[in-house]
Amino acid sequence: MWHKIIRDISQLCLVLTIALPFEMWAQKSAPTSLSADLPAGPMQAKAVTVCMECHEARIILQQRLSKAAWTKEVDKMTKWGAVVEPADRDALIDYLSTNFSPDKPAYEPPRTAGHKSSPENTLK
Amino acid sequence: MNSRRDFLKRLSGAALAAGAVPRLLAWALPQGQTLEVPGEDGMILRSFRFVDLESPVEYFNTWLTPVPHFFVRNHMHEPSEVNADDWRLSIGGEVEKPLTLSLRELSKIRTHSVVNTLECAGNGRGLQRPQVPGVQWGKGAVGTAQFSGPRLRDVLQRAAIKSTGKHVMFRGLDEIPGKVPPFIRSIPIEKALDADTLIATHMNGSPLSKHHGFPSRALVPGWIGAASCKWLTEIKVLETEFAGNFMNPGYRLPNQPVKPGDTVKPEDTHPVTALGVNSVIAGPSDGSSAKTGKVIVNGAAWAGEADITKVEISTDGGSTWNSARLGREQARYAWRLWSYEWNAGQSGDYTILSRATDNQGRTQPAIPAWNPSGYLYNAVDQVKIHLA
Repeated sequence: MWHKIIRDISQLCLVLTIALPFEMWAQKSAPTSLSADLPAGPMQAKAVTVCMECHEARIILQQRLSKAAWTKEVDKMTKWGAVVEPADRDALIDYLSTNFSPDKPAYEPPRTAGHKSSPENTLK
Repeated sequence: MNSRRDFLKRLSGAALAAGAVPRLLAWALPQGQTLEVPGEDGMILRSFRFVDLESPVEYFNTWLTPVPHFFVRNHMHEPSEVNADDWRLSIGGEVEKPLTLSLRELSKIRTHSVVNTLECAGNGRGLQRPQVPGVQWGKGAVGTAQFSGPRLRDVLQRAAIKSTGKHVMFRGLDEIPGKVPPFIRSIPIEKALDADTLIATHMNGSPLSKHHGFPSRALVPGWIGAASCKWLTEIKVLETEFAGNFMNPGYRLPNQPVKPGDTVKPEDTHPVTALGVNSVIAGPSDGSSAKTGKVIVNGAAWAGEADITKVEISTDGGSTWNSARLGREQARYAWRLWSYEWNAGQSGDYTILSRATDNQGRTQPAIPAWNPSGYLYNAVDQVKIHLA
Protein backbone atom coordinates (compact mmCIF):
# COMPACT_ATOMS: atom_id res chain seq x y z
CA MET A 1 0.00 0.00 0.00
CA TRP A 2 2.64 2.55 1.13
CA HIS A 3 4.87 1.32 -1.62
CA LYS A 4 2.14 2.10 -4.18
CA ILE A 5 1.44 5.57 -2.72
CA ILE A 6 5.14 6.43 -2.72
CA ARG A 7 5.43 5.18 -6.29
CA ASP A 8 2.41 7.27 -7.38
CA ILE A 9 3.74 10.37 -5.63
CA SER A 10 7.17 9.97 -7.19
CA GLN A 11 5.56 9.47 -10.60
CA LEU A 12 3.46 12.61 -10.14
CA CYS A 13 6.52 14.58 -9.02
CA LEU A 14 8.36 13.42 -12.11
CA VAL A 15 5.51 14.56 -14.32
CA LEU A 16 5.21 17.92 -12.57
CA THR A 17 8.96 18.45 -12.70
CA ILE A 18 8.90 17.92 -16.44
CA ALA A 19 5.53 19.41 -17.18
CA LEU A 20 5.29 22.59 -15.15
CA PRO A 21 8.21 24.43 -16.73
CA PHE A 22 6.86 23.34 -20.07
CA GLU A 23 3.41 24.60 -19.22
CA MET A 24 4.84 27.90 -18.00
CA TRP A 25 6.67 28.20 -21.31
CA ALA A 26 3.52 27.28 -23.18
CA GLN A 27 1.47 29.89 -21.36
CA LYS A 28 4.12 32.52 -21.92
CA SER A 29 4.61 31.92 -25.62
CA ALA A 30 1.13 30.91 -26.70
CA PRO A 31 -1.58 32.93 -25.01
CA THR A 32 -4.00 32.15 -27.81
CA SER A 33 -5.38 28.66 -28.04
CA LEU A 34 -3.68 26.86 -30.85
CA SER A 35 -6.66 24.62 -31.39
CA ALA A 36 -10.04 25.94 -32.46
CA ASP A 37 -13.44 24.31 -32.53
CA LEU A 38 -16.12 23.96 -35.14
CA PRO A 39 -19.52 25.32 -34.08
CA ALA A 40 -22.16 23.13 -32.50
CA GLY A 41 -24.63 21.42 -34.77
CA PRO A 42 -25.87 18.02 -35.82
CA MET A 43 -22.85 17.47 -38.06
CA GLN A 44 -20.18 18.93 -35.80
CA ALA A 45 -18.73 15.60 -34.68
CA LYS A 46 -18.70 14.19 -38.18
CA ALA A 47 -17.17 17.37 -39.61
CA VAL A 48 -14.39 17.09 -37.03
CA THR A 49 -13.77 13.47 -37.99
CA VAL A 50 -13.91 14.14 -41.71
CA CYS A 51 -12.02 17.45 -41.94
CA MET A 52 -9.65 17.57 -38.98
CA GLU A 53 -7.84 14.45 -40.12
CA CYS A 54 -5.85 16.64 -42.49
CA HIS A 55 -6.21 20.26 -41.32
CA GLU A 56 -7.38 22.32 -38.40
CA ALA A 57 -10.72 24.07 -37.85
CA ARG A 58 -9.49 27.58 -38.70
CA ILE A 59 -9.21 26.62 -42.36
CA ILE A 60 -13.00 26.22 -42.25
CA LEU A 61 -13.80 29.01 -39.75
CA GLN A 62 -12.33 31.67 -42.06
CA GLN A 63 -14.35 30.71 -45.17
CA ARG A 64 -17.50 32.59 -46.22
CA LEU A 65 -18.94 30.64 -49.13
CA SER A 66 -22.21 29.99 -50.89
CA LYS A 67 -23.84 26.57 -50.77
CA ALA A 68 -22.69 25.92 -54.34
CA ALA A 69 -19.10 26.72 -53.39
CA TRP A 70 -19.26 24.52 -50.27
CA THR A 71 -20.62 21.69 -52.40
CA LYS A 72 -17.58 21.97 -54.68
CA GLU A 73 -15.25 22.04 -51.69
CA VAL A 74 -16.79 19.00 -50.02
CA ASP A 75 -16.66 17.03 -53.26
CA LYS A 76 -13.05 18.10 -53.88
CA MET A 77 -12.01 17.10 -50.39
CA THR A 78 -13.79 13.76 -50.74
CA LYS A 79 -11.78 13.15 -53.90
CA TRP A 80 -8.67 14.08 -51.92
CA GLY A 81 -9.31 11.50 -49.23
CA ALA A 82 -11.86 12.95 -46.80
CA VAL A 83 -14.10 10.06 -45.77
CA VAL A 84 -17.62 11.41 -46.27
CA GLU A 85 -20.31 8.76 -46.13
CA PRO A 86 -22.71 9.30 -49.06
CA ALA A 87 -25.58 9.56 -46.58
CA ASP A 88 -23.78 12.42 -44.76
CA ARG A 89 -22.76 14.50 -47.79
CA ASP A 90 -25.80 16.76 -48.02
CA ALA A 91 -26.01 17.27 -44.26
CA LEU A 92 -22.31 18.18 -44.14
CA ILE A 93 -22.77 20.71 -46.94
CA ASP A 94 -25.79 22.16 -45.11
CA TYR A 95 -23.80 22.43 -41.87
CA LEU A 96 -20.90 24.23 -43.57
CA SER A 97 -23.01 26.53 -45.73
CA THR A 98 -25.25 27.45 -42.79
CA ASN A 99 -22.40 28.29 -40.43
CA PHE A 100 -19.96 29.78 -42.93
CA SER A 101 -22.06 31.68 -45.43
CA PRO A 102 -21.11 35.03 -47.04
CA ASP A 103 -23.51 36.96 -44.79
CA LYS A 104 -21.72 35.91 -41.57
CA PRO A 105 -19.38 38.43 -39.94
CA ALA A 106 -15.74 38.11 -40.99
CA TYR A 107 -13.61 35.68 -39.00
CA GLU A 108 -11.09 37.41 -36.74
CA PRO A 109 -7.88 35.39 -36.67
CA PRO A 110 -5.75 35.37 -33.53
CA ARG A 111 -2.12 36.37 -33.46
CA THR A 112 0.76 34.27 -32.34
CA ALA A 113 2.53 35.63 -29.28
CA GLY A 114 4.61 38.66 -30.09
CA HIS A 115 8.02 39.76 -29.04
CA LYS A 116 10.65 42.14 -30.29
CA SER A 117 12.55 40.25 -32.93
CA SER A 118 16.06 41.38 -33.65
CA PRO A 119 15.75 43.24 -36.93
CA GLU A 120 17.51 41.70 -39.90
CA ASN A 121 17.11 44.71 -42.10
CA THR A 122 20.72 45.00 -42.96
CA LEU A 123 22.48 42.82 -45.48
CA LYS A 124 25.08 40.54 -44.02
CA MET B 1 15.34 14.31 -34.61
CA ASN B 2 11.76 14.60 -33.48
CA SER B 3 13.02 14.79 -29.94
CA ARG B 4 10.21 17.17 -29.03
CA ARG B 5 7.60 14.86 -30.45
CA ASP B 6 9.15 11.93 -28.62
CA PHE B 7 9.35 14.03 -25.49
CA LEU B 8 5.67 14.88 -25.76
CA LYS B 9 4.78 11.26 -26.34
CA ARG B 10 6.77 10.20 -23.29
CA LEU B 11 5.29 13.03 -21.30
CA SER B 12 1.84 12.02 -22.48
CA GLY B 13 2.38 8.46 -21.31
CA ALA B 14 3.74 9.51 -17.93
CA ALA B 15 1.01 12.05 -17.35
CA LEU B 16 -1.76 9.70 -18.29
CA ALA B 17 -0.28 7.05 -16.04
CA ALA B 18 -0.33 9.48 -13.15
CA GLY B 19 -3.65 11.02 -14.14
CA ALA B 20 -2.04 14.42 -14.03
CA VAL B 21 -1.92 17.69 -15.94
CA PRO B 22 -4.61 17.06 -18.55
CA ARG B 23 -4.69 20.81 -19.26
CA LEU B 24 -1.10 20.71 -20.39
CA LEU B 25 -1.74 17.87 -22.77
CA ALA B 26 -4.84 19.47 -24.15
CA TRP B 27 -2.62 22.34 -25.22
CA ALA B 28 0.40 20.38 -26.24
CA LEU B 29 -1.29 17.76 -28.34
CA PRO B 30 -4.45 19.15 -29.98
CA GLN B 31 -5.96 16.50 -32.17
CA GLY B 32 -2.95 14.34 -31.42
CA GLN B 33 -0.46 16.63 -33.12
CA THR B 34 2.76 18.08 -31.89
CA LEU B 35 3.12 21.78 -32.54
CA GLU B 36 5.77 23.36 -34.69
CA VAL B 37 4.15 26.78 -34.97
CA PRO B 38 6.49 29.67 -34.27
CA GLY B 39 4.74 31.30 -31.35
CA GLU B 40 6.71 34.42 -30.67
CA ASP B 41 6.47 36.48 -33.79
CA GLY B 42 3.18 38.35 -33.48
CA MET B 43 1.98 36.85 -36.73
CA ILE B 44 -1.63 36.52 -37.85
CA LEU B 45 -2.51 32.86 -37.39
CA ARG B 46 -4.50 31.81 -40.45
CA SER B 47 -3.84 28.16 -39.63
CA PHE B 48 -1.40 26.18 -37.56
CA ARG B 49 -2.06 22.87 -39.30
CA PHE B 50 -0.96 23.43 -42.03
CA VAL B 51 1.15 26.37 -40.94
CA ASP B 52 -0.11 29.54 -42.60
CA LEU B 53 1.07 32.78 -40.99
CA GLU B 54 0.45 36.30 -42.25
CA SER B 55 2.56 39.36 -41.49
CA PRO B 56 0.66 42.26 -39.92
CA VAL B 57 1.10 45.12 -42.41
CA GLU B 58 2.66 47.36 -39.76
CA TYR B 59 5.75 45.13 -40.04
CA PHE B 60 6.38 46.43 -43.56
CA ASN B 61 8.64 49.28 -42.49
CA THR B 62 11.99 47.66 -43.23
CA TRP B 63 13.32 46.90 -46.69
CA LEU B 64 14.24 43.38 -45.64
CA THR B 65 11.60 41.56 -43.65
CA PRO B 66 13.06 39.79 -40.60
CA VAL B 67 12.57 36.04 -40.95
CA PRO B 68 10.40 35.79 -37.79
CA HIS B 69 8.06 38.32 -39.44
CA PHE B 70 8.05 36.74 -42.89
CA PHE B 71 4.78 35.14 -43.98
CA VAL B 72 4.58 31.35 -44.12
CA ARG B 73 2.43 29.49 -46.64
CA ASN B 74 2.19 25.72 -46.57
CA HIS B 75 -0.21 23.61 -48.59
CA MET B 76 0.67 20.48 -46.64
CA HIS B 77 2.51 19.28 -43.59
CA GLU B 78 6.08 20.44 -43.27
CA PRO B 79 8.57 17.56 -43.40
CA SER B 80 8.68 16.09 -39.91
CA GLU B 81 12.36 15.36 -40.29
CA VAL B 82 15.02 16.77 -42.58
CA ASN B 83 18.53 15.63 -41.79
CA ALA B 84 21.05 17.86 -43.53
CA ASP B 85 23.55 15.00 -43.77
CA ASP B 86 21.08 12.66 -45.43
CA TRP B 87 19.34 15.23 -47.63
CA ARG B 88 19.91 14.87 -51.36
CA LEU B 89 18.86 16.88 -54.41
CA SER B 90 18.40 14.90 -57.61
CA ILE B 91 18.49 16.45 -61.07
CA GLY B 92 17.08 14.31 -63.86
CA GLY B 93 14.59 14.06 -66.70
CA GLU B 94 15.60 15.56 -70.04
CA VAL B 95 19.31 15.79 -69.19
CA GLU B 96 22.40 13.99 -70.48
CA LYS B 97 23.98 13.47 -67.06
CA PRO B 98 21.51 12.98 -64.20
CA LEU B 99 23.11 13.83 -60.88
CA THR B 100 22.50 13.84 -57.17
CA LEU B 101 23.94 16.48 -54.85
CA SER B 102 24.42 16.47 -51.10
CA LEU B 103 24.12 19.72 -49.17
CA ARG B 104 27.90 19.81 -48.86
CA GLU B 105 28.27 19.46 -52.64
CA LEU B 106 25.61 22.10 -53.25
CA SER B 107 27.38 24.50 -50.91
CA LYS B 108 30.55 24.27 -53.00
CA ILE B 109 28.83 25.71 -56.06
CA ARG B 110 29.28 29.44 -56.51
CA THR B 111 26.65 31.38 -54.57
CA HIS B 112 24.55 34.24 -55.90
CA SER B 113 22.26 36.54 -53.92
CA VAL B 114 18.94 38.08 -54.93
CA VAL B 115 16.80 40.44 -52.87
CA ASN B 116 13.32 39.36 -53.80
CA THR B 117 9.81 40.31 -52.80
CA LEU B 118 7.99 37.03 -52.36
CA GLU B 119 4.22 37.22 -52.49
CA CYS B 120 1.66 34.47 -52.23
CA ALA B 121 -0.56 34.36 -55.31
CA GLY B 122 -3.53 34.48 -52.92
CA ASN B 123 -2.40 37.57 -51.01
CA GLY B 124 -5.50 39.71 -50.48
CA ARG B 125 -7.88 36.86 -51.30
CA GLY B 126 -9.96 37.66 -48.23
CA LEU B 127 -10.75 41.09 -49.67
CA GLN B 128 -12.18 39.79 -52.93
CA ARG B 129 -15.96 39.83 -53.39
CA PRO B 130 -17.71 37.52 -53.85
CA GLN B 131 -15.50 35.42 -51.58
CA VAL B 132 -13.69 32.41 -52.94
CA PRO B 133 -12.32 29.37 -51.08
CA GLY B 134 -8.76 29.29 -49.82
CA VAL B 135 -6.69 30.90 -47.09
CA GLN B 136 -8.40 34.24 -46.49
CA TRP B 137 -5.27 36.35 -46.55
CA GLY B 138 -5.38 40.05 -45.86
CA LYS B 139 -2.51 42.06 -47.38
CA GLY B 140 0.31 40.46 -45.43
CA ALA B 141 1.18 37.33 -47.43
CA VAL B 142 4.20 39.16 -48.80
CA GLY B 143 7.71 39.96 -47.65
CA THR B 144 11.17 40.82 -48.92
CA ALA B 145 14.37 38.95 -48.15
CA GLN B 146 17.83 38.39 -49.49
CA PHE B 147 17.97 34.83 -50.80
CA SER B 148 21.31 33.19 -51.52
CA GLY B 149 22.44 29.94 -53.08
CA PRO B 150 23.68 28.45 -56.33
CA ARG B 151 22.10 29.58 -59.58
CA LEU B 152 19.69 26.94 -60.84
CA ARG B 153 21.26 27.24 -64.29
CA ASP B 154 24.71 26.33 -62.97
CA VAL B 155 23.29 23.09 -61.57
CA LEU B 156 21.27 22.39 -64.72
CA GLN B 157 24.33 22.97 -66.88
CA ARG B 158 26.22 20.32 -64.91
CA ALA B 159 23.44 17.92 -65.81
CA ALA B 160 23.55 19.04 -69.49
CA ILE B 161 19.99 19.81 -70.54
CA LYS B 162 18.84 18.05 -73.70
CA SER B 163 17.33 20.15 -76.49
CA THR B 164 13.99 18.52 -75.62
CA GLY B 165 14.02 20.10 -72.13
CA LYS B 166 11.48 22.94 -72.07
CA HIS B 167 10.22 23.06 -68.49
CA VAL B 168 11.76 22.49 -65.07
CA MET B 169 9.79 20.74 -62.34
CA PHE B 170 10.34 21.09 -58.60
CA ARG B 171 9.31 18.58 -55.95
CA GLY B 172 9.63 19.21 -52.23
CA LEU B 173 9.54 17.03 -49.15
CA ASP B 174 6.09 18.18 -47.97
CA GLU B 175 4.21 15.38 -46.24
CA ILE B 176 1.01 14.75 -48.14
CA PRO B 177 -2.22 14.12 -46.22
CA GLY B 178 -4.88 11.75 -47.52
CA LYS B 179 -5.08 11.53 -51.29
CA VAL B 180 -4.17 15.18 -51.83
CA PRO B 181 -2.13 15.61 -55.02
CA PRO B 182 1.54 16.35 -54.31
CA PHE B 183 2.59 19.99 -54.45
CA ILE B 184 4.64 19.73 -57.64
CA ARG B 185 4.90 22.61 -60.10
CA SER B 186 7.10 23.57 -63.05
CA ILE B 187 8.50 26.72 -64.63
CA PRO B 188 9.48 27.31 -68.27
CA ILE B 189 13.13 26.65 -69.14
CA GLU B 190 13.75 30.34 -69.93
CA LYS B 191 12.93 31.37 -66.35
CA ALA B 192 14.85 28.40 -64.96
CA LEU B 193 17.98 29.53 -66.82
CA ASP B 194 17.65 33.16 -65.72
CA ALA B 195 20.74 34.33 -63.84
CA ASP B 196 18.61 35.28 -60.81
CA THR B 197 16.72 31.98 -60.40
CA LEU B 198 18.31 30.16 -57.48
CA ILE B 199 18.47 27.02 -55.46
CA ALA B 200 18.38 29.10 -52.30
CA THR B 201 19.94 27.80 -49.10
CA HIS B 202 20.04 31.06 -47.16
CA MET B 203 17.59 33.83 -46.27
CA ASN B 204 18.81 37.17 -44.92
CA GLY B 205 22.24 35.67 -44.40
CA SER B 206 21.20 32.64 -42.35
CA PRO B 207 20.41 29.07 -43.40
CA LEU B 208 16.76 28.71 -44.35
CA SER B 209 14.52 28.01 -41.39
CA LYS B 210 12.30 24.96 -41.46
CA HIS B 211 9.21 27.04 -42.25
CA HIS B 212 10.97 28.55 -45.25
CA GLY B 213 12.20 25.32 -46.76
CA PHE B 214 15.38 24.11 -45.05
CA PRO B 215 17.77 23.05 -46.43
CA SER B 216 16.98 24.42 -49.90
CA ARG B 217 14.18 25.93 -51.89
CA ALA B 218 13.72 27.17 -55.40
CA LEU B 219 13.74 30.95 -55.67
CA VAL B 220 11.97 32.16 -58.79
CA PRO B 221 12.24 35.94 -58.46
CA GLY B 222 9.34 38.17 -59.36
CA TRP B 223 6.95 35.24 -59.61
CA ILE B 224 4.22 34.04 -57.27
CA GLY B 225 5.49 32.32 -54.14
CA ALA B 226 4.14 28.94 -55.28
CA ALA B 227 6.84 28.84 -57.98
CA SER B 228 9.54 28.81 -55.29
CA CYS B 229 9.12 25.23 -54.05
CA LYS B 230 10.28 24.64 -50.47
CA TRP B 231 12.21 21.64 -49.03
CA LEU B 232 13.44 21.02 -52.56
CA THR B 233 14.55 17.45 -53.20
CA GLU B 234 13.98 16.82 -56.90
CA ILE B 235 14.50 18.87 -60.05
CA LYS B 236 13.31 17.29 -63.26
CA VAL B 237 13.63 18.73 -66.75
CA LEU B 238 10.49 18.05 -68.77
CA GLU B 239 9.43 18.33 -72.39
CA THR B 240 6.13 19.91 -71.42
CA GLU B 241 4.65 21.82 -68.50
CA PHE B 242 4.14 19.52 -65.50
CA ALA B 243 0.65 18.06 -65.53
CA GLY B 244 -0.61 18.12 -61.96
CA ASN B 245 -3.29 19.71 -59.80
CA PHE B 246 -1.18 22.68 -58.76
CA MET B 247 -0.47 23.59 -62.40
CA ASN B 248 -3.97 22.88 -63.70
CA PRO B 249 -6.61 23.61 -62.47
CA GLY B 250 -4.59 25.23 -59.65
CA TYR B 251 -2.78 28.56 -60.03
CA ARG B 252 -4.47 29.72 -63.22
CA LEU B 253 -6.17 32.95 -64.24
CA PRO B 254 -8.99 33.46 -66.75
CA ASN B 255 -7.81 34.49 -70.23
CA GLN B 256 -10.60 37.05 -70.41
CA PRO B 257 -12.24 39.13 -67.67
CA VAL B 258 -15.13 37.24 -66.09
CA LYS B 259 -18.19 38.35 -64.20
CA PRO B 260 -17.66 38.06 -60.44
CA GLY B 261 -18.91 34.67 -59.29
CA ASP B 262 -18.75 33.03 -62.72
CA THR B 263 -17.12 29.65 -63.25
CA VAL B 264 -14.31 29.44 -65.80
CA LYS B 265 -13.42 26.42 -67.94
CA PRO B 266 -9.83 25.19 -67.49
CA GLU B 267 -9.18 25.61 -71.23
CA ASP B 268 -9.98 29.32 -70.88
CA THR B 269 -7.21 29.89 -68.34
CA HIS B 270 -3.45 30.37 -68.21
CA PRO B 271 -0.86 29.83 -65.44
CA VAL B 272 -0.18 32.59 -62.93
CA THR B 273 3.50 33.51 -63.19
CA ALA B 274 4.83 37.03 -62.51
CA LEU B 275 3.35 39.27 -59.84
CA GLY B 276 1.25 42.33 -60.58
CA VAL B 277 1.78 45.89 -59.37
CA ASN B 278 0.76 46.34 -55.76
CA SER B 279 1.22 48.49 -52.67
CA VAL B 280 0.36 48.37 -49.01
CA ILE B 281 0.01 51.05 -46.36
CA ALA B 282 2.02 50.03 -43.27
CA GLY B 283 1.12 53.11 -41.28
CA PRO B 284 -0.95 54.70 -39.97
CA SER B 285 -2.93 51.60 -39.04
CA ASP B 286 -6.46 51.15 -40.27
CA GLY B 287 -8.89 52.38 -37.63
CA SER B 288 -6.26 54.30 -35.69
CA SER B 289 -6.44 57.85 -34.34
CA ALA B 290 -3.83 60.60 -34.50
CA LYS B 291 -3.46 64.28 -33.86
CA THR B 292 -3.78 66.85 -36.60
CA GLY B 293 -0.53 68.20 -37.96
CA LYS B 294 2.24 66.19 -39.56
CA VAL B 295 1.16 62.62 -40.30
CA ILE B 296 3.65 60.22 -41.90
CA VAL B 297 2.03 57.75 -44.28
CA ASN B 298 4.39 54.90 -45.18
CA GLY B 299 4.42 51.50 -46.80
CA ALA B 300 5.84 49.33 -49.56
CA ALA B 301 5.18 48.85 -53.29
CA TRP B 302 6.27 46.07 -55.63
CA ALA B 303 5.71 44.87 -59.18
CA GLY B 304 7.25 41.40 -59.64
CA GLU B 305 9.60 41.52 -62.63
CA ALA B 306 8.83 45.20 -63.27
CA ASP B 307 10.06 48.32 -61.46
CA ILE B 308 7.97 50.67 -59.38
CA THR B 309 8.05 54.13 -60.96
CA LYS B 310 5.73 55.99 -58.61
CA VAL B 311 3.50 55.66 -55.60
CA GLU B 312 0.69 58.17 -55.15
CA ILE B 313 -1.18 58.93 -51.97
CA SER B 314 -4.63 60.33 -51.55
CA THR B 315 -5.83 61.63 -48.20
CA ASP B 316 -9.29 62.58 -49.41
CA GLY B 317 -10.66 59.24 -50.52
CA GLY B 318 -9.26 59.46 -54.08
CA SER B 319 -10.22 62.96 -55.22
CA THR B 320 -6.64 64.23 -55.33
CA TRP B 321 -3.30 62.40 -55.39
CA ASN B 322 0.25 63.33 -54.36
CA SER B 323 3.51 61.54 -55.02
CA ALA B 324 5.15 59.65 -52.18
CA ARG B 325 8.92 59.64 -51.74
CA LEU B 326 10.43 56.31 -52.76
CA GLY B 327 13.00 54.75 -50.45
CA ARG B 328 16.66 54.65 -51.39
CA GLU B 329 17.03 50.87 -51.14
CA GLN B 330 16.15 49.01 -54.30
CA ALA B 331 16.89 45.85 -56.24
CA ARG B 332 15.44 44.42 -59.42
CA TYR B 333 12.87 42.13 -57.80
CA ALA B 334 12.49 43.91 -54.48
CA TRP B 335 9.79 46.23 -53.22
CA ARG B 336 10.39 49.94 -52.67
CA LEU B 337 9.55 51.42 -49.35
CA TRP B 338 7.77 54.76 -49.63
CA SER B 339 6.63 57.55 -47.38
CA TYR B 340 4.49 60.65 -47.60
CA GLU B 341 4.42 63.54 -45.17
CA TRP B 342 0.89 64.80 -44.86
CA ASN B 343 0.11 68.11 -43.21
CA ALA B 344 -3.32 67.37 -41.87
CA GLY B 345 -4.89 70.61 -40.77
CA GLN B 346 -8.39 69.66 -39.73
CA SER B 347 -9.76 67.04 -37.40
CA GLY B 348 -12.17 64.47 -38.76
CA ASP B 349 -12.38 61.04 -40.42
CA TYR B 350 -10.14 60.41 -43.39
CA THR B 351 -9.59 57.66 -45.95
CA ILE B 352 -5.98 57.36 -47.07
CA LEU B 353 -5.23 55.52 -50.31
CA SER B 354 -1.99 54.27 -51.90
CA ARG B 355 -1.64 53.57 -55.62
CA ALA B 356 1.51 52.22 -57.28
CA THR B 357 2.53 52.38 -60.95
CA ASP B 358 5.31 50.39 -62.64
CA ASN B 359 7.54 50.77 -65.69
CA GLN B 360 5.26 48.48 -67.71
CA GLY B 361 2.59 51.16 -67.38
CA ARG B 362 0.50 49.13 -64.96
CA THR B 363 -1.32 50.97 -62.17
CA GLN B 364 -3.24 49.44 -59.28
CA PRO B 365 -6.96 49.43 -60.06
CA ALA B 366 -9.69 50.64 -57.73
CA ILE B 367 -11.39 47.26 -58.17
CA PRO B 368 -9.26 44.42 -59.55
CA ALA B 369 -10.57 41.84 -61.99
CA TRP B 370 -12.30 39.07 -60.03
CA ASN B 371 -11.10 35.51 -60.56
CA PRO B 372 -12.39 32.21 -59.10
CA SER B 373 -9.31 31.52 -56.97
CA GLY B 374 -8.68 35.02 -55.68
CA TYR B 375 -5.20 35.39 -57.19
CA LEU B 376 -3.15 38.59 -57.52
CA TYR B 377 -5.58 40.88 -55.71
CA ASN B 378 -4.07 44.32 -56.09
CA ALA B 379 -6.71 46.96 -55.43
CA VAL B 380 -5.56 50.43 -54.40
CA ASP B 381 -4.87 50.01 -50.69
CA GLN B 382 -6.74 52.04 -48.11
CA VAL B 383 -6.88 52.80 -44.40
CA LYS B 384 -9.40 54.85 -42.48
CA ILE B 385 -8.16 57.02 -39.65
CA HIS B 386 -9.51 59.64 -37.27
CA LEU B 387 -7.67 62.90 -36.61
CA ALA B 388 -8.42 64.79 -33.41
